[in-house]
Amino acid sequence: AQRLLLRRFLTSVIPRKPPQGGWTSLTSRTLQTPQYNPGGLTETFICSATFNVQDGPDFQDRVVNSETPVVDFHAQWCGPCKILGPRLEKMVAKQHGKVVMAKVNTDDHTDLAMYEVSAVPTVLAIKNGDVADKFVGIKEEDQLETFLKKLIG
Amino acid sequence: MVLDFVVPSPQGSSWGLGGTCVNVGCIPKKLMHQAALLGQALQDSRKYGWEYNKQVKHNWETMTEAIQNHISSLNWSYRLKLREKGVAYINAYGEFVEPSKIKATNKKGQETFYTASTFVIATGERPRYLGIQGDKEYCITSDDLFSLPHCPGRTLVVGASYVGLECAGFLAGLGLDVTVMVRSVLLRGFDQEMAEKVGSYLEKEGIKFQRKFTPVLIQQMERGSPGVLRVVAKSTEGPETIEGVYNTVLLAVGRESCTRKIGLEKIGVKINEKSGKIPVNDMEQTNVPHVYAVGDILEGKPELTPVAIQAGKLLARRLFGGSLEKCDYINIPTTVFTPLEYGCCGLSEEKAIEVYKKENLEVYHNLFWPLEWTVTGRDNNTCYAKIICNKFDNERVVGFHLLGPNAGEITQGFAVAMKCGLTKQLLNDTIGIHPTCSEVFTTLEITKSSGLDITQKGC
Repeated sequence: AQRLLLRRFLTSVIPRKPPQGGWTSLTSRTLQTPQYNPGGLTETFICSATFNVQDGPDFQDRVVNSETPVVDFHAQWCGPCKILGPRLEKMVAKQHGKVVMAKVNTDDHTDLAMYEVSAVPTVLAIKNGDVADKFVGIKEEDQLETFLKKLIG
Repeated sequence: MVLDFVVPSPQGSSWGLGGTCVNVGCIPKKLMHQAALLGQALQDSRKYGWEYNKQVKHNWETMTEAIQNHISSLNWSYRLKLREKGVAYINAYGEFVEPSKIKATNKKGQETFYTASTFVIATGERPRYLGIQGDKEYCITSDDLFSLPHCPGRTLVVGASYVGLECAGFLAGLGLDVTVMVRSVLLRGFDQEMAEKVGSYLEKEGIKFQRKFTPVLIQQMERGSPGVLRVVAKSTEGPETIEGVYNTVLLAVGRESCTRKIGLEKIGVKINEKSGKIPVNDMEQTNVPHVYAVGDILEGKPELTPVAIQAGKLLARRLFGGSLEKCDYINIPTTVFTPLEYGCCGLSEEKAIEVYKKENLEVYHNLFWPLEWTVTGRDNNTCYAKIICNKFDNERVVGFHLLGPNAGEITQGFAVAMKCGLTKQLLNDTIGIHPTCSEVFTTLEITKSSGLDITQKGC
């Protein structure tokens, strides 16, 4: 049901253009190096492991088609989001590229957010095009570690 | 299905789901009013013993960011609520093309058509401009003020509607230099004795009033955020003109219904051509049976959020819930949130005299001194309470008026009492809560007809 939901909202926000290999099966591909890489190489992996979603196609490209994406739905007006955000980024960076995190601002991308989210922050773990795991609200670092490790498998 | 679309203001302001109240009305207004009151409280606090050395100043950007964040959270919550109730939300401009069909145009210009068996128009209003040179290019309105990225600075408020006076009030409260230009009366439609008292208080707080003038030209002297504007105004009584220089000119000269460009003429819905308002029957039905209307666009109904909400709720229940209940538009309370608030319910004194005749009315009134004002040395003859009673109906309270701190909170309870048929006797029988401002209504004795002096003596 979650997969259908994900597929449904993607098809509604993205112009009809079937991606290579179709939606249903996530062809196993090596982790793509995201194009977004500000300021070149950095010591930490934070810059390349976390990015802000620009629009629907961007979401499809870098989240749905990515190996192990985590999606952080957040908002400017949400206090807990401001705490969770950096914490999540730090834990994602610690996974050394095994996890990619997409940040979706729910005010900028309300249509996208509306399908999956009721409260912010909501964090989704996506595997094979499905929502594999999810949590709402703030979590401690060790809880985030567990969440991410479970996704990487 | 809900179609909501905000045509950007001439200055480019736009906003999310929720209408005027949430985005550019009640909500940000009340928060800015509170910001100003807190500034006042800081000043008063020293008299109560608080000692601090730091210079207290106000940061406009901090305030507006916090307010806009709250508004965004409300926009989100409304999207959620619609989703929860299975209501489709379309961010597009709706127009009637046929009696049961509308065209929805989104911001990219794409058109979609929808049909329905019932329609409810709740398009609200937008601020009016003066129609003079420079107004749309250089002036802002309440549509722009609450999200203004920079502090407005020295401001001219044109108009003495409640929007104008409330804005002037909080801007002055935040420490800005404010002038209000009024063409004729303050708070048109409100009790004029109360309106003048509101005006006097604002003047005492440092707001300058230019009465009986109207702008004829706005020129930009300097660009900037804010820039510098030159305003030329003409007297309404003679040839005199005055000039002024301001950072910001805020127009608050009325609001216009958004009923003229939605295709109503195509389907035969009658509107008042002069005002743009839609006349409806007591079921909020227009002259076209399957088209209803609620909110500020209704002719002859108060332009208030709770009125629109109540009318809409009851309409939905009548249409789909088998209810027969109609919206009761009698004795609707409201409050003007100027720094010293003015709360009222029922008739103004002028209207009461018109309806009941002066000799059939008894007006009880008094000036009062809030306890909290004693220590801070504020005036003891500013706050004022008045009730208008119908002598031939058990001295039924037909008008309630209060100028004082927290008038908004106080008035709500008395509005309920009036709904229950409040009389002077019932007020006399009710014991007051002491010490409060509100208790003054339980001990009113002096009538206007007695001619007795209500001036509070000092000590």
